[in-house]
This record gives sequence, C-alpha cells and structure tokens, in this order.
Amino acid sequence: MKPRIWLLISALLVMSLLMAGCAAEPAAPAAPAVGEAPPAEEPSAGLGDLPRHETLIVDILTGRVGTPDDFNEWVGWKWRDRGMQNLANEPLWSVDFATGKIIPGLAAGDPVYNDDFTALTIPLREGVTWDDGQPFTAADVVFTVETLKKHQGFNDHIFFGENVKSVTAVDDYTVAFELNAPNSRFHTRFLDRWGATWIMPKHIWESVEDPVTFKFNPFVGTGPYKLHSYDPSGFWTIWEKRADWDKSPTGIMFGEPKPKYIVFQYFANEGAKILAQLTHQADVVNVSSDGLKAVLAQCESCRAYRLEWPYVVNNDPAQTGITFNTARAPYDNREVRWALLLAIDIGEYMGMAVDGTGALSPVHIPSLSNYPDDFIKPMLPWLEEFTIDLGNGETFAPFDPNASQRVVEYAKSRGYKVPEDPEEQARLFGYGWYKYAPDVAEKLLVKNGFSKDGSGRWLLPDGTPWRIRCLTGTQLATGMGERNCVAAVQQWKNFGIDAEVYSSEATANLNAVGDFDVSSNWPAQEPWGAGPDLYRVLNHWKSEFVKPLGEVTSGHPSRWSSPEMDAVIEKLQNTDPTDYQATVDIGIEGLKIAVREMPGIPTFGYVGFIAWDQTYWTNWPGAENPYTQPYTHWGPFKYMTPFLQPTGAR
Amino acid sequence: MFLKRYLIPRLIQYVLVIVLGITAVFFIPRLLPNDPVLRTIAEMRARGAYLEPGAMDKIISDLQQMYGLEGSLWEQYLAFWGRLFRGDLGVSFFQFPTPVIDLIMTALPWTAGLLLTTTILGWVIGNLVGGFAGYYSNKQWSRVLDAIAMVVRPLPYYIFAFALLLIFAYYLRWFPISGGARLGMRPSWSWPFIQSVLWHSFLPAMSILVLSAAVWFQTMKLVVQNVNAESFVTYAKLSGVKEGRIVSRYVIRNALLPQITGLGLSLGLIFSGALITEIVYSYPGLGTLLYNAIINGDYNLIMGITVFSILAITTSVLIVDLIYPLFDPRIRYM
Repeated sequence: MKPRIWLLISALLVMSLLMAGCAAEPAAPAAPAVGEAPPAEEPSAGLGDLPRHETLIVDILTGRVGTPDDFNEWVGWKWRDRGMQNLANEPLWSVDFATGKIIPGLAAGDPVYNDDFTALTIPLREGVTWDDGQPFTAADVVFTVETLKKHQGFNDHIFFGENVKSVTAVDDYTVAFELNAPNSRFHTRFLDRWGATWIMPKHIWESVEDPVTFKFNPFVGTGPYKLHSYDPSGFWTIWEKRADWDKSPTGIMFGEPKPKYIVFQYFANEGAKILAQLTHQADVVNVSSDGLKAVLAQCESCRAYRLEWPYVVNNDPAQTGITFNTARAPYDNREVRWALLLAIDIGEYMGMAVDGTGALSPVHIPSLSNYPDDFIKPMLPWLEEFTIDLGNGETFAPFDPNASQRVVEYAKSRGYKVPEDPEEQARLFGYGWYKYAPDVAEKLLVKNGFSKDGSGRWLLPDGTPWRIRCLTGTQLATGMGERNCVAAVQQWKNFGIDAEVYSSEATANLNAVGDFDVSSNWPAQEPWGAGPDLYRVLNHWKSEFVKPLGEVTSGHPSRWSSPEMDAVIEKLQNTDPTDYQATVDIGIEGLKIAVREMPGIPTFGYVGFIAWDQTYWTNWPGAENPYTQPYTHWGPFKYMTPFLQPTGAR
Repeated sequence: MFLKRYLIPRLIQYVLVIVLGITAVFFIPRLLPNDPVLRTIAEMRARGAYLEPGAMDKIISDLQQMYGLEGSLWEQYLAFWGRLFRGDLGVSFFQFPTPVIDLIMTALPWTAGLLLTTTILGWVIGNLVGGFAGYYSNKQWSRVLDAIAMVVRPLPYYIFAFALLLIFAYYLRWFPISGGARLGMRPSWSWPFIQSVLWHSFLPAMSILVLSAAVWFQTMKLVVQNVNAESFVTYAKLSGVKEGRIVSRYVIRNALLPQITGLGLSLGLIFSGALITEIVYSYPGLGTLLYNAIINGDYNLIMGITVFSILAITTSVLIVDLIYPLFDPRIRYM
C-alpha cells in the first residue's frame, strides 16, 4: 500500500517537473532568428548581459503581449506599443501633442491634393533604409496599399478598398494616389496618432503566401531600433539601436539615439511596477495617481512630468467628460442637457474627479497643444456673449472665464503649491468653464415640464422620479471616464436627481447600441492633438452615421447630429487641411454648434501619470522642457531617444 | 461484472458530464453582454485605431465572418463540435489570428509547473505533518504547529503573497520582483534558464504552498484525531502493535481516503490557473489568459481553456474513483 501511494506521488511530482520543464520549450512556433542574436549579445542573454547603463527599461502600457511572436500589426491588435510603433516603425507623419507639431517621418513634406481632392501626391524622405539595409522607396508604399486593398482581414482593407482607385510610384521618392471619391483627409490614415497605417517592406512581404496570417517575425522597420529578442510569454520585448541609425528618419532629423537597448516590460500589478522603479529596475512606469504619489514619496531619484504639483501629464490630447444619449428622452432635449451642465460645480467636480489636477475646457477639444491659441482663446469673446433662453424673455450667459479659479481655490485649500502667474494657471487649469447655476438649471427644467416632489427630488415631465445611471467602466478609482461619472453623479445628487454610477465591463457594447442614458464616453471624438484640423472630431457627428437605438452606431455614441453640423463637416471636407486659417475657422464654427447643442459635457483633459527614474537616464521631456510628448507608448517616443542623457551610473 | 456494472456506466457518465460541461461553456459566454466584435472595435479605437465611421457596418460583418460568428447559434454550436473533434479550438478573437491552442500551450507549462508542484507538495507536507500532529495531538510541537496553521490559514491569499513579495523581493532582495524568468532570457533546456525559472518561481510557489499545506494540515489532523478514537485503533494498541505501524497502516491510511478525493479535485482545478498569483508576481500562466478572455468576450479562448479544465477535472475524478480500491480494500467494484 505505502509504496504504491508514494509511487503515485512520485509520478505526479515528476510529471509536474516535466511540465515546468516544458515551459522551456514554448509550443509557439520556433524561436525567431532575432532570438539567435550574435554570440556577443547572447552569452546566456538576460538583462544581466545587457549593460544597465546603456539600457532603458519602460513598462508596456497595454499590458502583457498576447501575440508575442506575431508582429503583423496590420491585422487585429498586436500590442504595437511594445516598441513597434514607438521605436522600430516610422510613419509618414506623427502627431506631437506637446509641441503641437506634425512631424514628417518617412514623408518629406505635406501631401499635395488636387483641387477636388480626388488625387494627391506624397513626397518621401530620401536616404532612409529598412533595418536590414534595404532602401525605403515609393515602391514600399505602393505595395503596402495594394496589399491592404487586396486581402480581407487587414484592418485597413475596407478603407483602402473604398478610397483608392490607384496608387503609383511617380519616382523612387514620390507616390501618387487617385481616389474613388473626394477625400481631403485621406492622408491622415498615415498620420500616427497612437497608430496609423504602417508601411510594409516590400522586399519581405512580396514573397509571402498569406499576408494576413504572416507573422512578420523577425520584424523589420525603418525606425532607429531593431528587434533584439522577446519573451514567448509576452512579458518583455528588447530592442537594440541600429548600427545604421542614421538611415532612419529619427537619426536623420534628431541625431543618434542614446540608449543602446530599450526593454519594454510588463508588470501585472502596480505594486510590482513601483517596486521595480524603487529598486531602479524600471526607468519609466505608467502608474495611477496614488502610485505616482508613492513613487515620489519614496524614490529620491524619481520625478514626475511636472517637478511640482500637480505633477501629472495634463496635456494628453483627449477631452474627457460626459456623453448624453440624445436618442433617449429627456436627453434629446438640449435644455435638459444644459440644465445638467449648470447643476455642476466644477470646482467640487474637479476635486472629486482628479484632485484638481486637470485642465478645464469649455469646448469639445482639450486645452493643450496649439488648441488654446488656435481655438479656445479666439472663442472666448463668443463664449462670453453666448446665452441660453430661459423663457419669458429671460436669458442667461453660462460661460465663466474665471471658472478655473474655482479649481485653483480647491487646490490651495488642499495645501498644494499653485503657481501664481495667471498665464501659467491658465495653462494648468484651462481658460474658463461654465458657471455653477443650479437656480438656472431649475428654471430650464421647469420650463420643460420637470417638477420636484415634496422631498425636493426631481420628477420627469410625466411625474415619475428622474433617475440617471451614468454608464462607465470598472476602474472607478483610476479611470478618467469613471472619475467623470463619479463626480457628475455626486453633483446631480446634490441637485436632487436620483443619480448613480453604472459600472460595467460591457461599456463598449452598451455605448455602441445606445443602451444608456448618460455615459462617461468622451463627449467628442478625440482630436489629432496637433495642427489645425478638427475634421476627426466633427465628422463623428455626421447625421448619416446615426443609427436607431439597438443598432451599432457608426458615429459618436451620443447619436447627436444636426443639419447645421453636417454643413460644417461638408465645408471642412472641401477645405485643404494645409490651409491653416481656413481650417481653424471652420473648426471654430463646428465647436460653436457643439457648445450650443451640448450633446456631451466637456470637462477636463485626460490626466496621465508617469514616473521617470533619473538614476540612469536624464533630460526627460518634462513640463519645464517639453521638447517632445512625454509618453513612451506614443509614436514620437523614438524622437525622445536622441535627447535622453545617460548619467553614467552603473 | 466490473466492466458491466461499474466501468461502462461510469465511463458513460464521464462522457456525458464532458458533453454537458462543454455545451454549457459554449452557451454561457454568449449570454454575456460583451459582444466580441464590438469589443474588438472598441479596443482598436481605444488603442488608437481610427475606424472610418462610414465603413463601420462592413468592418462588423468582416469581423463576424473572420471570427466564425455568422449563422445561427445552432449552426455555430455544430461547427464548434466539428472543430473540437478535429482538435481545433479556433482562433482567439482578441489575439487574432493566434490559434487558441497555441496560447494555451504557451501558458500551460508555467501554470501546470507551478500548480502541480505546489498542489502535490502542499498535499504531501500538509497530510504528513497533519497526520502525525493529529496522532500526537497532545504533544507540545503538535499544538505549536496547530497554532501556526490557525494563523496562516485565514490569511487572505493576496495579502500573504504580497507580504512575501515585499519582504523577500523588495526589502531583502533575495528574489526577483516579477516575471517567470530573467529579463532577456529565452526558454531553453539550459541550466541557467532552469535555475532562473526556479529562482523566479520560488516566491509564487511558497505563497501557494504554505497556505495549501496549512489547509491540508488542519483537515488531516482533524480526520486523524477522529480515526484515532476508533475502536480498531484502540484494539491495535492493546494488542501491542508497534506504534509506527499503527500510525502508518491503521490511522493515516484510513484518514487519507477523503484527502485523496480532495487531491484529485485540486489537480483538476490546476487548469483554471492561479490568477492572483500571476497578478502579484507578474508570473506567466493560464489565469490572466482566462481573465482577459472573459473581459474581452473572447468566446473561443474561454471555451478552449474551460474545455481543458472540464477534461482535467472529470478525468482526475474518474481516475481517483478507479484507483480508490488501491487505497481502501473495503471498496470493490465486483
């Protein structure tokens, strides 16, 4: 008996050890050539063999790579912030939201459209090579577009299929497109704003039998770094500086990248990220508000984007806020939407949402980059004159140019050190918002048939209690959408509405089919974050994209549209996006309509939290020196690498 | 007789449970409000892809076609069984177009290696120590062990795991903070890699092992104390049977029977992964794979992992049932 039990146990133990051993031989396809780096690079591999003083370690924003051996980023989602989009790929153009500039990468300049926007030519940069030494030419662009058009399964298959009649290489460095219909924004498909259509190296892809399932491993790009190795379980990817970095657009434009190796590492929890940074095993981590506080409190060599409060990155090009489902009563009524806005005390709101750290915007684009100068400041006179009709000849001007001061006061009450310079305050907290006017909100509601019961709770026009459920995601403590819902619900409760947060994993579905009253979906499509063009924002409000409730909407989840906005969109569509002032003027027209109709409430710009350790690397693009955008997951991270300075620490 | 009266009905039951389980696994994810196609679109948008609004209907129908979500539920169900019989679990929606089997086989060795080892070691240590502690329950060392187990067992796992991480990885820096092996190291049968895996697995393994051993210890101790009070044990003692023989042949052997059933079930559960361990230690494995599959409505991946889990649990229970007579001579299937 006894021997039999132990035999069984021993067998199970051996099996378990074998299983552990199996981890040594991944079931995934064979190790790529890149994993078989030259002997000098791989004695037993490991960071121990990568010199720490030449290695930059950053965390992967989007988490553990689910497809570690697959670099075909043209199909599905391939965790391209593991270094593909931000180091090894160069797009035709990139958005840099910190400088407000569009940076040409593989392109040598702006696209040139014909008069009716049915054709364009793009000049390409000369002297660029792929990281395997082959020259980059117009043939690569032509091949890419034709391949994407040809095969169903590529993310951009439909776009190019519907838009492109023909694509030709005029010469090695000029590519010409003929379009099926006028499209003045066709080129933006190649503009990297956390993603774009990347160019394929023709010399590799042309011999591939099935490009949709091709893994493109080893990855070959035109960026300054090339793939060194990766973890088959998706925990890390290592990139190495190209010996011929000067043949990449980054090298040509900005010089030699400083880190020899860049490691993208996944941490499954914030605690591990913080511990890694405190022990100098991670140079850059994306954390939560509390995580940033923990790092700054315990790590002398660490810094945030701002050297002083509010520390955060508050120039991320996404405008957060609240979206109304305008296909549902009573949110189909503009005056009800305005009443809900005026019931918000933005000082309290900001305190509750993000501890006062965000920049307010009264319009549906964030207060960052070139947007304040191009759009928000020019709109201030109009905003101050703008009024709402309260009935009986009474009007109300809702805009408050000093609303940001309420946030400043909140911050001071918390003991934070707030800059006294008004211009700096405006940059940090925005150029005004709307008044807190619950009395005006009440008038608007009463005008529209709403009433209050004996206990002061609002009733709908049909006499039933008014209940608002604010649909949002599940990261109630850290998500920007979630923080908006939490703050809005509290404000509306104070106002006497039975409001609650409806937290769900299915927000994508519910927003898409319109199964919500109010949601924390961004109140408008995110803008590019640089340049004058708001077509990306406004186009999502086009009436032809609005679908009945229950069907997946193609446009913005608010399902709001108007003939007036359609006309603006069409006008913008027919305007050359390189005509700066004309594009800005039409954008302002669209923003005015959005303010009047208020299909969603814009509150504050997205707040990001990054911690940089300066033990091994310095000269980070912080707020005091924003030479480029600060994130390592955005495309222009590659443009940061030539400016980083090694400290020499070992 | 054994074949007809026990084995065949038991095997039929085994197959039936698998079919019903897999059927439930097919339908339940489809009741989730998460539509994988919309989820994919939302993820692509959230991660920077600008999807032309005018092309949305076409994108949706393309994705449905690629994911095999066209046709009625019944047609999808039949197609699913057809694929399953060919050993094809389909492709992951979220990690498209990676085959589900590839994802599982990459994660499984880590999970199985960690959980199989800790489950078995925890069972052996807990039962062995618990057995002796139960038999010698009046001894001082037995009381001390009991007190330790009483303190350790109710500790929330994540607190315990994180405490180990803080103490041994951050303050003492004896072990790594995260990962399954050293950064930059590709899996191989080399000693440095095996050494690195063992080094990285130590804290995750200890966190599971200590708590599971405490559980087995407490249950075994109680069962042994009960068995110890049985008249056949008293009779053996009065008959002058050697104490070692009484402990091993009469007491522990009898007390072990329910523990073996427990072991069988625990082994089956391995295929569900160890989500919290994976999160605390950033350890690769099936747990996060399953979690992400559920969050993203990745039907194929959910089904793939749970098919393995169903097969593992039902098979381990079947094996335990069949080998039970080896441990308990009173049970005969004849």
